[in-house]
Amino acid sequence: MFCIIERVESPFSDEESLAVLNRYVREWFVGNFDELTPPQRYAFKLIAERRNTLIASPTGTGKTMSGFLSILSTLFDKAVNGTLKERVYCIYVSPLRSLNNDVYKNLTEPLEGIYQIIKEDKGVDILKDNIRNVTIAVRTGDTTQKERRRMLAKPPNILVTTPESLAILISSSKFVENMRGVEYVVIDEIHELANNKRGTHLSLSIERLQSIVGRDIVRIGLGATLHPMEEAARFLVGMDGDEPRSCAVVDTSLIKSMEVSAISPVKDMIYTPEQRIEAAMYKEIGRIVKMSKTTLIFTNTRSGTERVVFNMKRRLKYKPEDIAAHHSSLSRESRLEVEGLLKQGALRCVVSSTSLELGVDIGTIDNVIQLGSPKSVTRALQRIGRAGHTYQAVAKGEMIVLNRDDLVECTVMLDAAMKKHLDSFSVSKNALDVLAQHIVGMAIDRKWEVDEMYNVIRHAYPYATLSKEDFMAMIDYLAGNYVGLESRRVYGKIWYDKETGIIGRRGMAIRPIYMLNLGTIPDEVAINVLELKTKRWIGNIEEEFLSRLEKGDIFSLGGKLYMFSYTAGSKCYVSEAKSSAPTIPPWFSEQLPLSFELAERIGEFRAAFAESLMEMDEGEARRLISQPSIKSIPKSAKAILDALPVNEYGRIAIFRYFTEQLLFAGEVPNNRYILIEYTRDKMADTNYIIFHSLFGRRVNDTLSRVVAISLGAMLGQDISITINDNGFVVNTEEETEINEDTISTLMKRVVAADIDVLLKGNIRNTEIMRRRFRHVATRSFMILKNYMGRKMSVNRQQMNSRFLLKALEEIDPNFPILKETYREIFEEVMDIGRTRDLIGRIERGEVRYKFIETRSPSPFAHTILTFGHADVVLMKERNDYLRYLHGLVLKRIGVKGRKGRG
Amino acid sequence: MMLDEDIYLPDGLPVAYIKSINTLVVSDLHLGYEGMMAKRGMLIPKVNLRSIEDIITKSAEETGAKSIIVNGDIKNEFSNVETEEFNEMLDLIRMAERLGLRMTLIKGNHDNFVDRYREAFHLEIHSQSANIGEYMFIHGERRPVIRGRPRMMIMGHEHPAISITNEAGVRERLRCFLFGSYKGIPLLVLPAMNYFAGSTDINMADRDELLSPVLEGVNVDAMHAIAIGYGSTIDFGTISDLRRAGPRAMAGL
Repeated sequence: MFCIIERVESPFSDEESLAVLNRYVREWFVGNFDELTPPQRYAFKLIAERRNTLIASPTGTGKTMSGFLSILSTLFDKAVNGTLKERVYCIYVSPLRSLNNDVYKNLTEPLEGIYQIIKEDKGVDILKDNIRNVTIAVRTGDTTQKERRRMLAKPPNILVTTPESLAILISSSKFVENMRGVEYVVIDEIHELANNKRGTHLSLSIERLQSIVGRDIVRIGLGATLHPMEEAARFLVGMDGDEPRSCAVVDTSLIKSMEVSAISPVKDMIYTPEQRIEAAMYKEIGRIVKMSKTTLIFTNTRSGTERVVFNMKRRLKYKPEDIAAHHSSLSRESRLEVEGLLKQGALRCVVSSTSLELGVDIGTIDNVIQLGSPKSVTRALQRIGRAGHTYQAVAKGEMIVLNRDDLVECTVMLDAAMKKHLDSFSVSKNALDVLAQHIVGMAIDRKWEVDEMYNVIRHAYPYATLSKEDFMAMIDYLAGNYVGLESRRVYGKIWYDKETGIIGRRGMAIRPIYMLNLGTIPDEVAINVLELKTKRWIGNIEEEFLSRLEKGDIFSLGGKLYMFSYTAGSKCYVSEAKSSAPTIPPWFSEQLPLSFELAERIGEFRAAFAESLMEMDEGEARRLISQPSIKSIPKSAKAILDALPVNEYGRIAIFRYFTEQLLFAGEVPNNRYILIEYTRDKMADTNYIIFHSLFGRRVNDTLSRVVAISLGAMLGQDISITINDNGFVVNTEEETEINEDTISTLMKRVVAADIDVLLKGNIRNTEIMRRRFRHVATRSFMILKNYMGRKMSVNRQQMNSRFLLKALEEIDPNFPILKETYREIFEEVMDIGRTRDLIGRIERGEVRYKFIETRSPSPFAHTILTFGHADVVLMKERNDYLRYLHGLVLKRIGVKGRKGRG
Repeated sequence: MMLDEDIYLPDGLPVAYIKSINTLVVSDLHLGYEGMMAKRGMLIPKVNLRSIEDIITKSAEETGAKSIIVNGDIKNEFSNVETEEFNEMLDLIRMAERLGLRMTLIKGNHDNFVDRYREAFHLEIHSQSANIGEYMFIHGERRPVIRGRPRMMIMGHEHPAISITNEAGVRERLRCFLFGSYKGIPLLVLPAMNYFAGSTDINMADRDELLSPVLEGVNVDAMHAIAIGYGSTIDFGTISDLRRAGPRAMAGL
């Protein structure tokens, strides 16, 4: 068999597809369905040929059946000829327990149906020939001891499970005997796994399973579309030597037609009072909900979800039985209840943060409204794809925007979605903490020769390029070689003999330690917020949010403002703030980052649209935007806007936004043109250097640090930064003189910098380093959450991670746990690779930059600055500030403002 | 730096040297710390003993001291002497012997059951407090009964530190000595020697968050914080000054 990832472009005929099925299975299928769905036209035959197959298709296209029917067919072949044994033939893995239960139900029915047909056909022969039904069971963390024992004695033919439970099963010495004959693995919602450590973990489990089975397992991946599909396929099938194993790729994700639009609720997003904008927004929501039977609303944040539900009841008079909230902070029961009501079609509207993006069957949704940008095309498509329950139906989606950057972003995003230009994803490569777990697991299973183990691991695509040095460093760590001989009994998790190169289990205790501590999802701490003086409990914040807080920062909690003082363990002390605006938005941790690709597309749009506005002269431009209407937009600019999915108000607002920027600054920054704006904010009495850099938030996160560190070194100052999707702000000390020369020296330094070294030195002392380090140390079994029958509180896990970090650095600056922490931060939180590319392009002049000085911030700087000032909850505050900034701008460009009018 | 004409604080080390009695004073070693953490599932590398040995060796060589006073909490576990603790204590005592240092232990709250090793280790052991030379040494877990008129009281237990936030908002925590007075008698509080142990941020904490009852009788705000770190020992001024310097100036945003 030659190794190739092959896109299968043309479907098989229905006859061909049905011909591959067992006659009873076929009879059942034809009796229950009128026709094959698009993915089924590919999948039945491909899987019947036992080919690894990756299928991308929207919900409502019979995806599960497309992956399973050919498997059921071979299982019933065995049943009919009496060779079906009591053992596992097929393992189904999904990241969601609720999806497991869905699949169990959705397969039980066909199994019963098909068996019924066989019974009717065979009559009493069914007993004589010993024809049994194909069995199925779910195994997750929720499975009771009793069920587990029964499963061990009578293993199901189809095992439905999660990645974590699968990892436990392959290391359980008894149950693994039931899995030696596994022929198929089905991975559902593969798009939720391929890009994270949970998926990395699963990929190693599957390679280990394959090594236990001793021959190739047929792998089937199901999911929403991923770009590039070939990368997802490699993740699914793994490697055979240096080449990926072969895989057929079926992408029918584009079959659903869509009707989408970005909606600005008002013509003027700056001068319309906040109450009017809000009223217009709910009016718009009300209109859409009324038109549809069931509407799904995404708000991006949990607090937003609560607020929208509240307002829909208050303003639009929806009754509690018509509308429900669904987000991850709600209890499992209430989420299941909402899902149940949705399936029954009993709700008019459900509001979700992001939790309903995932594939649980939620029945008929006609319309999907998104409040604010989902920040990536792929996510936008996934959400819109929730509408239109069959693939023939049109999926309707609206994005209601909250500010002018949001408007441009959503418009460009929906255009990209219509054209199916997706953001790319990436697989986490060579994650050392996940590797640690599997080495321990493998050592528990049996003895290994070092190279034999190394080779099995490299069959998993995320570890195809794992270096022998990193692997051996991990073996050293796990063998406890970082402590003296006498303590290895406690510290060592594996036993490694350097002479013979044999790896094995160390001690009896390691098996329960492994079983109780495996997995990749870190425990999160709810931080208690207490009033400093009175020690009164105020509320909870997330640890991620705490990690961004510095002393003196002001944030809102439960509708009030507090100043952060200090933190001790899982407590955070604050005092009531006198100030009127928070310095940190509370939803920071929940906020989704703008993707690189989308940022690039926004940049391209900016360049093209700004170009089209050049035909206006200054006087004309001033006149046109003082009373803007759709008719006042010049022809070539209007042509660009008319081709985009955005409402009329939105078109006017975009036109006005860009024209103001041109009049004010003479420049519109784009993805090949970074504007570096030095400006003064009179209200806050501060100077800013604003980098209009449009490369997605992860690149901005990285680049802003490189810039700040370089500038700090130049000036001998501490520099503070504020990061946003559309740029970042750098603050220097008050008296510092910044001019063109400063910036050109700065950019030379940035270009010449070794950013790896620079960033390592910088993030060593940050909270994010400590937090990620704790996660990595926990995943690598250095900190055991669950040990000798006691569970360690996250609070204790947190303890002294600073000294622990220092101690490891002293042992070896490349200690595997440190190395992984840096990798995770550089590659998953930041984006060091693309930042390096960007700096290279700046060096070669492919991306240019220009320094300008402005007397007040230019229009495109407003949202960048506002992000640091206020948050969505206190929109009023933010609007005041925006209005103030804008007033300054209008004065400079000589347009009369329309203060106070809507 | 010289604290006064008789007491020298070697640069960057959590150690005091007293000339008149030619002795080093250290506190809160918590030997066996990693072993105890390992029992709770935190398999952290062993660096505490090595770091303590480095510090003592450096100070002994620099000062020519002939004895060492451990001002409480030489070991970590409250209830008993663990194997790891025993081994580490043995290592430490052997090292002291090699350096020609006679060891005196003021028992702290973590030091139960060490008496049974008095003979084997040739340890001079005092319970909670001892007057040696003109000085009174206390661990600091209980209010002291003052005997005679000591020139100065020296204690441990508190693990003092100060927190300083720089202009860009990064908080730096520095271990420190505290120097003030208790009922008219000069009082020196030693920083913890333990590598991992947490400490109290004296300039951030309220009075009731302080550990030692001794400090209840002290005007903590008037105490000087003498911080150690990055190879230096520097007087940062009084705690009340540090409190006034307060949180970082609000950044522009």
